[in-house]
Amino acid sequence: MTELYATLIFLFALFALLGGSVWVGLALVGVAFIGMELFTSRPAGDAMIMTIWTGASSWTLTALPLFIWMGEILYRTRLSGDMFRGLAPWMRWLPGGLLHTNIAGCTIFAAVSGSSAATLTTVGKMSIPELRRRGYPEYMIIGTLAGAATLGLMIPPSLTLIVYGVSINESITKLFLAGVIPGLVLAGLFMLYIIGWHFLRPGERPRPEPRMSIGKMFHDSRFLLPVLALVFIVIGSMYFGWATATEAAAVGVIGALLLAAMQRSLTFETFFASLMGATRTSAMIALILMGASFLSLSMGFTGLPRALAGWIDEMQLSPIILIAALTVFYIILGMFLDGISSVVLTMAIVEPMIRQAGIDVIWFGVFVVVVVEMAQVTPPIGFNLFVLQGMTQHEISYIARTAIPMVLLMVLMVIILVVWPELATWLPDNIRQRPND
Amino acid sequence: MSDWSSYFGVPLWVWLFVLPTLLAVGARFSRHHIERPLRRLWALLDMLYLGSGVCAAIFMLLILLLIAVQMTARWTGLTFEGSTEFAGYAMAATSFFALAHALSRGAHIRVSIFLNINQFTRLWLDAAATLLGAIIATYFARYAIKTNFLSALLNDRTQGQDQIPEWVVTVLKMFGTFPSEWAALWRASGDAQIYTPVWVPQIPMSIGTVLLAICMWDQLIRLLVTGQTAIQRETVE
Repeated sequence: MTELYATLIFLFALFALLGGSVWVGLALVGVAFIGMELFTSRPAGDAMIMTIWTGASSWTLTALPLFIWMGEILYRTRLSGDMFRGLAPWMRWLPGGLLHTNIAGCTIFAAVSGSSAATLTTVGKMSIPELRRRGYPEYMIIGTLAGAATLGLMIPPSLTLIVYGVSINESITKLFLAGVIPGLVLAGLFMLYIIGWHFLRPGERPRPEPRMSIGKMFHDSRFLLPVLALVFIVIGSMYFGWATATEAAAVGVIGALLLAAMQRSLTFETFFASLMGATRTSAMIALILMGASFLSLSMGFTGLPRALAGWIDEMQLSPIILIAALTVFYIILGMFLDGISSVVLTMAIVEPMIRQAGIDVIWFGVFVVVVVEMAQVTPPIGFNLFVLQGMTQHEISYIARTAIPMVLLMVLMVIILVVWPELATWLPDNIRQRPND
Repeated sequence: MSDWSSYFGVPLWVWLFVLPTLLAVGARFSRHHIERPLRRLWALLDMLYLGSGVCAAIFMLLILLLIAVQMTARWTGLTFEGSTEFAGYAMAATSFFALAHALSRGAHIRVSIFLNINQFTRLWLDAAATLLGAIIATYFARYAIKTNFLSALLNDRTQGQDQIPEWVVTVLKMFGTFPSEWAALWRASGDAQIYTPVWVPQIPMSIGTVLLAICMWDQLIRLLVTGQTAIQRETVE
């Protein structure tokens, strides 16, 4: 049973290095090295660099820094102020009132940025003080914001989906389009929750907003419309096959720069800060991807993925049971790891499993994003919780409690995706004549 | 183990892994005396990391430029041979050059759940993790350099359609040769377009990984000398 011992050592090293707070990318390289030494006589170092170089210099990956940069530019403009002012007049009529600006604001910002934390800060900076001033209950403000900000991961451009696409070698464009409808459905679920609150807890409603003329409504949302136009150009150019994901990202960056210039918030400082910020974030993800590509090479030698896929086959597990098991697995993993790390870490093992079970990989990408979204708001490690703690000075446990209904809604979303897989697969199946990417 | 052959009678792995570790331990014991003089060196290193971060940013601008040109070329019916390869090289350069800068600004993520238990783990678990990270990063850099040299030795060429002028390659070769050989180098060099030798875009990989390794050892020594992490974190990226 030496094979078993070797596997145990390999897994132990993985948990020890990650739990021992070694930087995720480097920890993956270390674990992969141990796997190579245990399971194969191939020279580890040379194989490592060949794999890493091929991955790091790939054309598909170039969409990543550009989409990050686009989000960074808009994050540093006065967009967040405009967001609340522009959205508020349109949301006042809905039952639940201005709480909907949290959801709508996050949905819009998610469509220009791939990061959940940036979405959260941009929207929260403005909406938290405004909603508090109007007397909305604190738990609703914090909870809906924490949940809706996770849409940043799902609505394209999504960094998690880029990373997923690069790891399993699938088209980024298809994955992005697959995320659109489920993202909107999830946003709709959050809005239904607010409407439900409005009718079930009438005692907590604040005073209704004063009337407003149509002209003022449009005047107040004048900066929001160009952002929406940018969103449609970026997503539309991918859908209609005018541009690959990378090209759409380049268009997005140029459009974001133009918008910032239009707002007169494009100074040399903000330009430089956005560029350097994007460089750092993309290097962070690149390092994790480097570690992950070496790890999946090494993982192949351990025979773990094949054994697990074979085991799934033997057990005659139905796809539904498999998806249920994977949901639990990812939620547990997500308690300790961020979304991108848990995706890259598991793909080498999970990919053969899902292909074996006959699950559509594009659909699975959307599924994975929903589950890692939950991880963003579940303690002890939830990125959104930390960001919100910094912004509101509430206890993590309080913020996590307010977000529980959102987590339940995300579980409901997983069920919806299983029942109606077309939500994710319909749009990518209908792309027009897409160029190669 | 030819990968770790001896230099000055000492195997390479002693130079790369043991020596920096001993240096870090020594720095811990003499921390009260060396902190002041070291601060100058640290300021210098910070500038180095920032500089490589700026390099990375320039390559990111280059990606944008390459893709913009490629798109215009496609719409106007012109061809831009090898644009995807060039964008890929720029991508690699961006990632590798920014590694050290991202580390010094706390952009690389780690699981910090055990780190924040108490003061003891904050220092010693962090030190252990940084030491391990430094060893892994050094290993990474060692093989990046080896692969880079092998690509040059075997004269590996690109698999794609991308070509660069030969004089660019010659200029880069000048850095690896003695000035006395430069005349011969230029005589042998033509002015034609040649398929990109793989070692050229691999140079940022060597530089970037070496800087990352230096940065890791640097962070370890700073941590041991000052007793607290030197990584300044920006609130939200």
